[in-house]
Amino acid sequence: MARHAVILAGGQCKWGVREAHLVDLFQEAAKACFDDIPTLKPKDVDGLIVASSYAGRCSFQVNTAPVIAERVGVKPTSICTRVDVLCAGGSTGIILAKGLVESGVADIVMVSGGEKLYTPQKWEVFYSELASVDHDWDGTNGMGLPPPFFSLTAQEHMMHYGSTKEQLAAVSVANYNYAATNPVAQMQKTLTLEEAMNAPSVVPPLTLYDCCPITDGAAVCIITTDEIAKKFSDRPLVYIRGTAQVCLNSVSANFPGAHLADWKHTKMAGEKAYKAAKVSPGDIKVAQTHDCFSISEVIEVEEFGFCKKGEGGEFCGSKQIELGGKVPVNTDGGLLACGHPFGATGIRQGIEMLKQLQGRARHQVKGADIGLTHNLSGANAEHTVLIYGREPVK
Amino acid sequence: MAVLGIPILENLYPSTMDMWPLEAKEFNRNWQFYENLKQGKLTTTKCKDCGLVSWPPRVICPECYSENLEYTDLPNKGKIIVFSEEVRGVPLGFESPLIHAVIDLGVAPARRILSRIVNCPAGVLKRGDEVQLAVFPVPALPIDKGKLGTVMSERVFFAFEPVKK
Repeated sequence: MARHAVILAGGQCKWGVREAHLVDLFQEAAKACFDDIPTLKPKDVDGLIVASSYAGRCSFQVNTAPVIAERVGVKPTSICTRVDVLCAGGSTGIILAKGLVESGVADIVMVSGGEKLYTPQKWEVFYSELASVDHDWDGTNGMGLPPPFFSLTAQEHMMHYGSTKEQLAAVSVANYNYAATNPVAQMQKTLTLEEAMNAPSVVPPLTLYDCCPITDGAAVCIITTDEIAKKFSDRPLVYIRGTAQVCLNSVSANFPGAHLADWKHTKMAGEKAYKAAKVSPGDIKVAQTHDCFSISEVIEVEEFGFCKKGEGGEFCGSKQIELGGKVPVNTDGGLLACGHPFGATGIRQGIEMLKQLQGRARHQVKGADIGLTHNLSGANAEHTVLIYGREPVK
Repeated sequence: MAVLGIPILENLYPSTMDMWPLEAKEFNRNWQFYENLKQGKLTTTKCKDCGLVSWPPRVICPECYSENLEYTDLPNKGKIIVFSEEVRGVPLGFESPLIHAVIDLGVAPARRILSRIVNCPAGVLKRGDEVQLAVFPVPALPIDKGKLGTVMSERVFFAFEPVKK
């Protein structure tokens, strides 16, 4: 009988500026995950994937997986490894775990992700971000911190498609308001359009609320098969129906689109994941897309086919991403308001999708049965898409 | 000079904290790119077998996997397609204003090079402005040569600057 991967449970620690060590954050998140499924114990876990990109630079720790395994009390026998795909690390862990449990290599895999980015001296993480892009060719141009790159992206979207600053601000407002009551989000406050429009400048046209913060945090989820899941939980099963990960370049000069607002690789990843999941854009009831910047979400809703190419600004500006809209997006607050500890973000998205598809989300989308999560990583150099559903692919 | 909090690193060079490339021949098979820069030339590698010009330079052709590559000149002048200006909050290692631009050098694979604009105050650039290559020195690379001691290997990097009208 075919084995179908499901996300069984998940939890995250409080995200933000944390007075804690990297391994503390993973322990807190593991506890939150097992609290979500009291019938499952650490001894039941046979595989561990750790997603962390900055452990090496900010915590002086490579080969992180055994460290985390020991601290969270699991003793892996099928897989114990770390993945580094920066912002897509958590999602990549889930993709790999799906392959491992469906092939029978593993049965119950803990996918964890986390970063401790705030170091004792503030300069270090900002400086270390030179490693986030192609070091010799983009880092040397001061592109480690992403606001300039996404300023150029926003300007080209405005040039080619006529999107406006108000439409960008509408994304920030929607996502902050989703997070206002999220107890683990970094930013827990409501935001008005006026506040967003009058915020301090970062790199024009981007202002404060257009940019996600730097975040300490961790998240943990459990990936297993549907048959095993039934032994531990009587909640509805949430399947990982299809996935894709597309990388066409690394250096910014080789960006695959006609311009920076043409995300050809995002579209490719979406189409491949839709095909694998046997769904179409119209089937997506809820999405968690990579809103590292407000402009990112505007372009993502276009490339995933929630609206026509070039109409993302209007889509987001007319409340289509809010509850009651065509596709509610980033219903837990997204990167903009939850924060973005790189390796943890894809797991945070998976947990929100688990809750949405089980009907227990804070901002529940009625009738949510199919959902999409997405990450971009590097200088917009890689795109990762997962499609979750209440039924397996047949 | 002591490193705050880590006295054992006094006078030691940690390459893991170096924002510039390890350009020296001992550490980089594309060292010729940087030597060409020192002569004021922006270059990249071209495959002598299939003809593909790659950016950035390589040691194998990504298309046909030939190792038979040669350096070829890229234009030194181009036009700004779009640019951004960061005045406050410029990261360590860079000066305000930190200006980035997508530059069209007129030939593939350099139709949309994302680089930095230097020698230019904030608020004066326009889309379509002509810019030219600007090569500048960056700190020399201290290479431990054993009994010979530490040899300083000179380094340069590049950006673009407005063409004076």
